[in-house]
Amino acid sequence: MTSNNKDKQTIVEYIQNWSRKHSLFVMAYGTGCGAIEIPATMTSRYDAERFGIRGAATPRQADVLLITGYLATKTLKRVIRVYEQMQDPKYVIGFGSCTINGGMYYDSYNTINALDRYIPVDVYINGCMPRPEAVISGFVQLQKQIAEGTANNAAKYKENLEWYRANQKKIIKNWRMPDYNW
Amino acid sequence: MEKENKILEAIKVAFNVEGHIAREKRVMITANKDIVSSILLFCKNQQGYIHLNHMSVVDRIEDGKFELNYIIWSPTEKVTIMLKTFIDRENAEMENIDSIWDQANTYEREMREMYGIQFPGLIGRQDFALEDWDEMPPMRRDFDTHAYAEKTFYQRPGREDAKDVREELTKQSGEVIPDFAKKYSRE
Repeated sequence: MTSNNKDKQTIVEYIQNWSRKHSLFVMAYGTGCGAIEIPATMTSRYDAERFGIRGAATPRQADVLLITGYLATKTLKRVIRVYEQMQDPKYVIGFGSCTINGGMYYDSYNTINALDRYIPVDVYINGCMPRPEAVISGFVQLQKQIAEGTANNAAKYKENLEWYRANQKKIIKNWRMPDYNW
Repeated sequence: MEKENKILEAIKVAFNVEGHIAREKRVMITANKDIVSSILLFCKNQQGYIHLNHMSVVDRIEDGKFELNYIIWSPTEKVTIMLKTFIDRENAEMENIDSIWDQANTYEREMREMYGIQFPGLIGRQDFALEDWDEMPPMRRDFDTHAYAEKTFYQRPGREDAKDVREELTKQSGEVIPDFAKKYSRE
């Protein structure tokens, strides 16, 4: 399926995807304990910048939102705001066991258990914590998806906005959020 | 133990409370909740115990009590006093001491949110760390955090076959899990 998809791409799309996959600007926003792996990934030993992965200071300049580790219900509100402020194309990487099924916080009263109920996730990296090799491997997976043109979860988010909103509002009871028009 | 004896005797004479010296530089006192602020003021103004180290709560659900601990310290004597008091768990209420130490305000707001202990006259936002919380205060021991998580958050299938680490360990060592802890086991 993937190769078919690749063949269907026009030359413009191919160039677009090629350039997108080689400049992934990562939103500098650490939500849980996993953020401590990011300096190790970025600095000289693993040097993620050789893959075109580098930090971005604001949501509007970022392409990738890393959810590093457990996500508290209070933080979820901020994550949704950050995600909605990001410009297309945008991708989400769930990082660590906690984003997949709650990890060791599965019975906690204030951390969510499955991230993809609230925002669409392109790549999950498992591990508690994932080492920098695993992080880079996750980014390479994302680059493959981008090259194939299958990383279009931002469009899915817009299509299924009601479903996501219903899930989000179940957690965030007092919904006082601005509406962003993408 | 001179310094410790001195402060213990001074408090005993002034307030007729129970206490003992736990070890060097540590004095433990148990007092009624009505005289806690008087003891703290006495220690601060007359004995030089000017530093509030910590305030904490222990949920003694078996006795129907909250145990409140006030830990104060004297930079000149280098002695720690741990002042303990018990308050009722139902409609828990304790005297506000942020007029003695300003920083007590933060601890009291956290106690109010996490245990539901009311401090009359406490000024500050109702929310401390949680947002829009309308359930039972979550750090109380009768709050079932697992049931709440199952009710509120989506549970991804696949956790069922995960083994309870504690039960596996007890099978190896022959140790018995006490009844009150069995509630938290998976089976």
